[in-house]
Amino acid sequence: MTPIQIKKGLDIPLAGAPRPEIVDIPAAKSVAVYQEFPGLKAKLRVAEGDQVGKGSPLFIDKKRPDLQFCSPVAGVVKAIEYGARRALYRIVIDVGQSETPDVEFQRYSADQLRGVERSAVLSQLLSSGLFSLIRQRPFSRIADPEITPKAIFVNGMNTAPFLPDLNVVVQGQERAFQAGLDLMTRLTEGDVHLCIAPDAADSIKSASNVKVHQFSGPHPSGNTSIHIHHIDPMEPTDQVWTIRGTDLIRIGQLFLDGNYPDKHVISLGGPGVKEDARAHYRVQIGTPLVDLLDGRMQDGEQRVIKGDALAGVAMQEGEHVSAICSAITILAEGREQFFMGWMAPGINKLSASRAYLSGWNGHKRKWDLTTNINGGYRAMVFTGLYDKYMPLNILVDYLVRAVLAHDTDEAISLGILETDPEDFALCAYVCPSKMDISGVIRQGLEEIEKEGI
Amino acid sequence: MKFLLKRLQKNKHLFEPGGKLERLFPLYEAQESFLFTPPETAKGAPHVRDGLDLKRAMITVVFALIPPTLWGIFNAGLQYNTVNQIADASTMDHWIQGMIIVMPIILVSYIVGGIIEVAFCIIRKHEVNEGFLVTGLLFPLTLPPTIPLWQVAVGIAFGILIGKEIFGGTGFNVLNPALTARAFVFFAYPAQLSGDQVWTVVKDGATQIDGFTGATPLAVAANVPDGQSVIAALNEAGFTWATMFGGAMGGSIAETSVIPILIGAAILIALGIGSWRIMVGGVIGLIAGASLLNLLPADNFSPFTQLPFYYHLVMGSFAFGIVFMATDPVSAAATTTGKWIYGIMIGLLAVIIRVANPAFPEGIMLAILFMNVMAPMIDHYVLQGHIRKRQADIKARRISYATS
Repeated sequence: MTPIQIKKGLDIPLAGAPRPEIVDIPAAKSVAVYQEFPGLKAKLRVAEGDQVGKGSPLFIDKKRPDLQFCSPVAGVVKAIEYGARRALYRIVIDVGQSETPDVEFQRYSADQLRGVERSAVLSQLLSSGLFSLIRQRPFSRIADPEITPKAIFVNGMNTAPFLPDLNVVVQGQERAFQAGLDLMTRLTEGDVHLCIAPDAADSIKSASNVKVHQFSGPHPSGNTSIHIHHIDPMEPTDQVWTIRGTDLIRIGQLFLDGNYPDKHVISLGGPGVKEDARAHYRVQIGTPLVDLLDGRMQDGEQRVIKGDALAGVAMQEGEHVSAICSAITILAEGREQFFMGWMAPGINKLSASRAYLSGWNGHKRKWDLTTNINGGYRAMVFTGLYDKYMPLNILVDYLVRAVLAHDTDEAISLGILETDPEDFALCAYVCPSKMDISGVIRQGLEEIEKEGI
Repeated sequence: MKFLLKRLQKNKHLFEPGGKLERLFPLYEAQESFLFTPPETAKGAPHVRDGLDLKRAMITVVFALIPPTLWGIFNAGLQYNTVNQIADASTMDHWIQGMIIVMPIILVSYIVGGIIEVAFCIIRKHEVNEGFLVTGLLFPLTLPPTIPLWQVAVGIAFGILIGKEIFGGTGFNVLNPALTARAFVFFAYPAQLSGDQVWTVVKDGATQIDGFTGATPLAVAANVPDGQSVIAALNEAGFTWATMFGGAMGGSIAETSVIPILIGAAILIALGIGSWRIMVGGVIGLIAGASLLNLLPADNFSPFTQLPFYYHLVMGSFAFGIVFMATDPVSAAATTTGKWIYGIMIGLLAVIIRVANPAFPEGIMLAILFMNVMAPMIDHYVLQGHIRKRQADIKARRISYATS
């Protein structure tokens, strides 16, 4: 199979890649389940002090009451916390004895899975909450179970620094992974596409029942938008579903074992992680961050990021490793100031631009990058620079301008619906005016979603 | 340098919201970010950012302007000493004399322009944009060395105010501010900006070299009587191709020699800051325009139409304009195709204005300004084409997928 070559883009030479090896983190004493889906209105199913079993529903989606979010452990609801506008923030559960039994889900054999009814798949996914791992394009929201998507794209790649390596996560879980793929084929009348890197393990390459595509080239060749665009691009009225390959394993486990899959493998990387701790970790859903990070972080002020360094979200102390958190990246907060930095030749400052010496050959070595933005916020200047880092056929300057001008029609015809904010992370990375381009695109997508296409 | 940083940070609170000098924050920011890299960390994704900022990009342009600036200084002194027949003037004397002539012009431009720029930043409450460092240097380099300093001040003020600030500041301007300033002084003070006498500083009451007219090659070329060869006329006036390439002659401060401009262009292209497409497009446009004019029957048109393109390339301000003025990312076309069209049109228009319009000996300034105005329209059509192509491409991919 010849891989689809992506030419535009950039692999940021960030130090701290996680080792291809899984470390087990002991079961937590207390876990938390987060309401981490923007736009979702939660309705509680438990109160503080209630006893819950593994797989018991904690809250549901008001709009789609079938969609439940479940407890990964048996224990007692210790606290229900609210965030802005009294919206549910998280539910903290103390692990322990509970009179409420663990929920038993329907078990299937691998063969049965290939012929199971769509409605049966949907109902089990919804009642377990694992349906929330499936996203719908455009807008990347939790998929709408009412519609039948044109196709389902499974992302089995990790070009962003640092997402978990599917080759590692899938070890020992090959059956669950294939089961997850089989289940996806039940949800669409179209094709299920598995997009992988050329160096994927044989067990992934030989996945059956789905179309396997290889993508090679620099980041963002591993982004789902790129895969959709190159395989079967979307028109504005299309709806396709997407899911991460690593999440498929939990779905497969649910149907094969009949138990709530309470663990997942995440990657821990970045220059802020101690060298020998940069690896993959198997953690219980909702494990406190401190259980994972204790003794594994470098000294000094560090930023802990849920997700990768390009598209993740900064975490606060006291948070937990939630179900959709697939990676944790740690970077030092770069508050140090250097004298006359604008005049330096740039041997010690990484840049993709040739205006610094590092732009000529600096990408060969790894860099301990920090969160410093390396400059100040300035007015937007149309340079066409972004387009060098955007493999989709999109003129980024103009798209950003259309969104800022609230011209949603123009934004749609420029292709915003084919994208996700993460696709613009590299453009924001190289922006000399230090603009929040991913944020602008997110705002544009939200606006279009609100107005309707 | 720790001491300096501590000093700065000690007073930072005065400029922050709630501080006594809150309104002057842009001034503080400019000073701090000049001395030290900012301590700012990413507010959200992406959490790492590239080393390049606008300050570095603009400084790189200033860096590329150094060779033409040095040449301009040296040449102003050289011309002064030659024309005024200063005996035994050494190279050092040329440098010193050049400094005396040129430095005040550059300083006035920076000081007056800087004050206006900072004042607007304070009013608008945004950071000082480093683009001014380029504008403030570009403008004086395009002036004749004899320009009165008050005209420099008025010119840069006009360029910054009308060329940039009334549109909303950096990033919003339609015209290149430095060229707007240059065009303003050109039309407002023609006596000091055109003619044969303004290109070399002459001592009060001094006698000139016999035969020295002060005419620039473009003026010579435009005034060749019908039926004569332009090249011969130029040679007769002392302008061979090589001397015009070398540029040891009177003219606008940094525009006479092509060599330092080529060095600047090489820096801009090698460091990826200036658009090579615009520069190459401009050269192609000029070659095409000059070659087309060559095809006109020599008998019916002015002899200037017959001048080969390689002369046009080294004459006047074309090289300086296409390398440093046309490539301003804010006022140029932004799409890749648009940059080609924009560059080619500038070259074409520049040569046509030169040859066909007797009122303006040099066409590059007007060509660039005209294309600055046209750039959004070029981009608009390129964008419409892009949208159509996008949709066709998506359709084609879908069909090819459905049938595969």
